[in-house]
Amino acid sequence: MEVITILIPIAILLALAFIVGFIWMTVKGQYDDLETPAMRILLEETDNTIKKEKK
Amino acid sequence: MSTCIHCDEDINVPIYSSEDTNHINPFCCNGCLTVFNILHLKGLDQYYQIKNNSGIFKRRSPVESKTQKFTYMDSPEFISEFSYQNLNSETTIEFYLEGIHCLACLWLIEKLPEYLEDVHISRLDMNRSVVTISLNTGGKFSNIARELNNLGYKPHPLKANQTSSSLKTQEERKMLLKIGVAGAGAGNIMLYAISIYAGAEGSYAKIFNALTVIFAMPVLFYSAIPFYQNAWNAIRNKTVSIDIPISIALLMGAFFGIFNLITGVTENYFDSLTALVFLLLLSRYFLGKIQQNGLSASDLNFFYEGDSVQKKVGETFVEMHPRYLASNDIIKISLNQMIPADGVILEGATLINNSLLTGESIPENSGPGDKVYSGTLNLGQEILIRLEKSPDESRLGKILKQVESGWITKSSIVDLTNRISKYFVAAVFILASALFLYFYSQGKIAEGIERAFTLLIVTCPCALALATPLTMTRTLSRAAKLGIIIKNNEVIEKLSKLKTVFLDKTGTVTYGNLKVIDMKSLCASSLPLPEIIISLENKSTHPAAVALREFAQKSGAQKVHDVANYREVMGKGVSGNIGSQFFEIRNGKIFEDKNIIAKYSLEDQVRPDSKKAVNELQNRGLDVVMISGDQKKIVDEIAGELGLKGENIFSAVSPEEKLAMIANNPRALMIGDGANDAMALSKAFVSVAVLGSLDISLRAADVYLSTPGISNVSKLVDISRETMIIIHRNLTLSLVYNILSVYAAFTGLISPLVAAVIMPLSSLTVLFSTIIGTKKLNRLLKVHVNNQKEQKWKS
Repeated sequence: MEVITILIPIAILLALAFIVGFIWMTVKGQYDDLETPAMRILLEETDNTIKKEKK
Repeated sequence: MSTCIHCDEDINVPIYSSEDTNHINPFCCNGCLTVFNILHLKGLDQYYQIKNNSGIFKRRSPVESKTQKFTYMDSPEFISEFSYQNLNSETTIEFYLEGIHCLACLWLIEKLPEYLEDVHISRLDMNRSVVTISLNTGGKFSNIARELNNLGYKPHPLKANQTSSSLKTQEERKMLLKIGVAGAGAGNIMLYAISIYAGAEGSYAKIFNALTVIFAMPVLFYSAIPFYQNAWNAIRNKTVSIDIPISIALLMGAFFGIFNLITGVTENYFDSLTALVFLLLLSRYFLGKIQQNGLSASDLNFFYEGDSVQKKVGETFVEMHPRYLASNDIIKISLNQMIPADGVILEGATLINNSLLTGESIPENSGPGDKVYSGTLNLGQEILIRLEKSPDESRLGKILKQVESGWITKSSIVDLTNRISKYFVAAVFILASALFLYFYSQGKIAEGIERAFTLLIVTCPCALALATPLTMTRTLSRAAKLGIIIKNNEVIEKLSKLKTVFLDKTGTVTYGNLKVIDMKSLCASSLPLPEIIISLENKSTHPAAVALREFAQKSGAQKVHDVANYREVMGKGVSGNIGSQFFEIRNGKIFEDKNIIAKYSLEDQVRPDSKKAVNELQNRGLDVVMISGDQKKIVDEIAGELGLKGENIFSAVSPEEKLAMIANNPRALMIGDGANDAMALSKAFVSVAVLGSLDISLRAADVYLSTPGISNVSKLVDISRETMIIIHRNLTLSLVYNILSVYAAFTGLISPLVAAVIMPLSSLTVLFSTIIGTKKLNRLLKVHVNNQKEQKWKS
């Protein structure tokens, strides 16, 4: 059971790290729009092809 | 039957672009063809490729046939009211766009900077259908609005200044932070709480216990702040709110937890309390989110329509939006322009169409000194008007205000839930106090506290409070994705109780504009028939003339000839000389030198899907009634085409009569589009505005269909009925649960610990019940995918 004295602080640190990460992302506005970026990523490819065609 | 390349609508008479000689790409109307050509010219043909590949996201492309100048968007008043400076100090504006539906729209709109010089950056938020556009120096909002409108996305400027929009984002982020912290807290606490339940003892139990207390603190004193605020507000306003028992349970739980920690008792309820905070915050967040989405009533507030007018300043005229007009201003109204406010004609004699206000279709002769009213249409020459009232005080403005004031109503079932919750809260308090006092009188204080606490925890009415909003939210958001925009929850409940459906004719079951359906050449004429038509009808603005012109263009009129002695008799027809021949077009006949050379008939065509839609409504046990301001003969014919019986057809109905009929029908659904429907729409039990509705009808209606035609109405009815089934199921579930648990807590069958475990379980049951929905509802909300498949097979 001694190992738990190491595991618990690790678990807490992990939890804190994720909370801090979440706060950071929220403040930066990463969660403001959840729908559009998911679609936008699909367009990146088509974007390039059109530019090539134009050139 | 083929479908339109652009909007995917079924076509009766396909038209083709002039380049498309092999007739590969059929279009349903000129609007679609125009958009197609614009895209083609700009080298954006890829739009269609993306659209066809976007699978389930594929939806009908929008078409906005009405062209608008939007010049008012360049006036300093408009710019200062609607635009703001973004972080790079570029002038920025937000538009709500109608018709945003798929990946291809996103592509098209975010490409704006590439084909429009005015735009620097264009970002679309698909969820809200809001595009944020920042200007290049020297760019004009009017150009952008015009472009968006031409592409079929009708723009509505949103009154967003930097402070209010960023305030909303800030608020939303704060809420997210609270939810995140609550979720993290609840999750971590679960970890240690389970260890305690599993039998951790001694120093471990104490450490775990201390850890749960530490993790619970930010949840209880940061994430849960909204509950305390609401509870405090409720107490201050002397009302009961479900946040009161929640707050008390949270604070009591916190107190006991800390107290137990100090006294060394390894027992607390933080696991269930934090889970409660997390779940409640989450459900409220989603509910708030859906209410902001799309065409919500509050967003509609900011909408306004109308082109600019010419206001006389000194000796010159300045372009201005009607919104900024005041009484005593002198304005110029040209042909086919709507009069923005009540006033008196100063100069010019003209014809005024009052149909919008009165439903009369015959225009009225007006001259200097005559009064004109807002919302009427100038059909003749240019006139000068001195305004007697500002647009807001004018007749139309007042109707609009009336309509707007009718919005703020709460869903009665949500209301009912809230009421039940309030009684529930009061009852729980009384029971808990009674329980405590009983044991107190017996001298068992500890047991009294424990039982009262158990009762408080186990009966938290969150299942009750959560179930209905969540179900509504789910339905509203899914329906919005299908193009059915429901403005408030109330509609769902009301739709499930429907008895009668009132249909408007023009623009609702029909396309809303006249078309030449039959042109018979009876004998040879000196000139090709289309050229005669287009030459004679060239100047007229009568709807029949517009239809004839369109027909002539479609049948390949090459040349417009000069017409001598041109005469137009309002409501009768046109006549004039081309060369030496005298031509006349009147009453469905075309004459050359008094000899009849051709016959035609004009008709407002019924949409191909209208009959099916009417049948579907009838199959659901609803009485379908047609109610139109048009003449009996036309209404009877179209109603007959839809399969309606004589007693269900009402023609030549004025807007006031419409209102009276609707008001007398307690469970009626009104479907309409025009301004003469607006009053009926605002007073109807439930009302639906169809695509292409006038601004005022849009505001008046509870539901807005952003897909053409009325085929979605029966689906809407089904969705509502199924949603109500789930709501009733959830209410029953949570009531049964609560009655059982109160009994158990009262008799001491369960300890606070067990209560704390059961409570979230009940919430989860309801959540689960909501999410699985019903088989039929799930099918309805998904039905679009199947439609697409069918369409693909067809083509």
